[in-house]
Amino acid sequence: MANVKGCNLPDDLYYNVENNVWARREADGNVTVGMTAYACALAGQIVSVTPKKAGKAIEQNKSVSTVESGKWVGPVKTPVSGEIVAVNEDLAGKPASINSDPYGAGWMVKLKPSNWDGEAGGLVTGAAAASAFEAKMNAEGFGGCSQA
Amino acid sequence: MNETGPRVWRLLDTGLRPPAQNFALNRALLEARQAGESPSTLRFLRFTPSALLGYHQSAEQELNLDYCRAHGITVQRRITGGGAIYFDEGQIGWELYLTKAELGTADMGAISRRICEAAARGISALGVDARYRPRNDIEVDGRKISGTGGAFDGDALMYQGTLLIEFDVERMLRVLRIPAEKLSDKAIASARERVTSLRELLGRVPVLAEVKARITAALAKEFAVAFAAGEMVAAEHTRYQRALEEIDTPGWVNLVSRPASDAPILEASRKFAGGLLRASLAYDSGSARVRQVWFTGDMFVSPRRAVADLEAVLKDCPVEELEARISGFFALREVDLMTLVPGDFVTVARAALAAEIGTAR
Repeated sequence: MANVKGCNLPDDLYYNVENNVWARREADGNVTVGMTAYACALAGQIVSVTPKKAGKAIEQNKSVSTVESGKWVGPVKTPVSGEIVAVNEDLAGKPASINSDPYGAGWMVKLKPSNWDGEAGGLVTGAAAASAFEAKMNAEGFGGCSQA
Repeated sequence: MNETGPRVWRLLDTGLRPPAQNFALNRALLEARQAGESPSTLRFLRFTPSALLGYHQSAEQELNLDYCRAHGITVQRRITGGGAIYFDEGQIGWELYLTKAELGTADMGAISRRICEAAARGISALGVDARYRPRNDIEVDGRKISGTGGAFDGDALMYQGTLLIEFDVERMLRVLRIPAEKLSDKAIASARERVTSLRELLGRVPVLAEVKARITAALAKEFAVAFAAGEMVAAEHTRYQRALEEIDTPGWVNLVSRPASDAPILEASRKFAGGLLRASLAYDSGSARVRQVWFTGDMFVSPRRAVADLEAVLKDCPVEELEARISGFFALREVDLMTLVPGDFVTVARAALAAEIGTAR
């Protein structure tokens, strides 16, 4: 499990570093999507979340959910295209799970990917993800997850 | 980039508009900045009478819709976060479109602070002592004069604020569904203590051109840029039309719709040795959060602004953190409560919550 400047970035996930999101291919072929620990640290405490609805087809790098923290509102952009097959309904009542457990209870949506093989190659994983995030954190003058 | 002088950012003034147009412009200008079609920009904007929801809010929960309808007040949803506000010709909006790369940070709290502190210096240059109050307000001596919020899209961000030049507190109270909606003289007086305006502080209404010039100068200095008056580019006009088609619709206004019964306003009062203390809480049962608290009563608190500061600390507070936040607040600063003690604030807030949590859990 990679830890970059205090931010947990699991090796087995696929990341879009620019959009600060992760994807995990599940055993049933669906893909779970969420925000990274780094994205959460930059946002601060998330207080509201409005996901797109199940059944909607979303293109790669388009928004699957809108989150709010400190009066900032922004999109969570999916790393891969697909149809939303499930949204994490628990987040509406407990948006703080996104910050406290971004790769577990804080997941946002599950997609049935339309082109996993074609799109996953453009994502980074493992050690490459850790070094890409470290470069991004340096460029953004980030102190570390523990301080954020 | 001009090598002999400062960077030049665009200054836009889009004048007085209905809120759907203003928010479609938010969307269009932010998207265009993200797409690299437009420069970084300071925009001034004004609103016809409007009740403006935060992105995640529900009109039924936040507003007195009957009053809005009867008085021709347009209800709209912002693309930014935060709480509902009333906005009319007596206020001006200011907003910046920038990139995180230009700011050298992606820390949203740090970005809010930097922009708000600069805006506060601009407001202060008009002859008042305006300060940033975390996380999103600018205040004068504990009274709010500007509220702010932001939206981002990739590397681009938009941060916007209000500035109360003239403000009708009573009208705000009638528009918003807040505890003071009972509109007792005491409630109005209490709201007046929390909000102020340039007119009230200066004893005159400054001309708009001066207000804009001061804010522009302060932001230019903070970001070491010069502002040059400009127009929207073609790509922004195209994006604006598309955004307007989405935003100028009931579907957008009702994008989030929750019954008012899920957001009760809870009240309790307790008699302490020092007198009566009352807490009014705007509670969100869905997320078990106290969205906002107002404390009123026979308080002799010094400095007086401490109550407003405490209320600011308690915004969007999960129920289980309420006690810790109140104790933490009083542990960190010198507040003379006379005969009240910090625990009294906890007691009365808990009393207000008791009935609701008792039935909800």
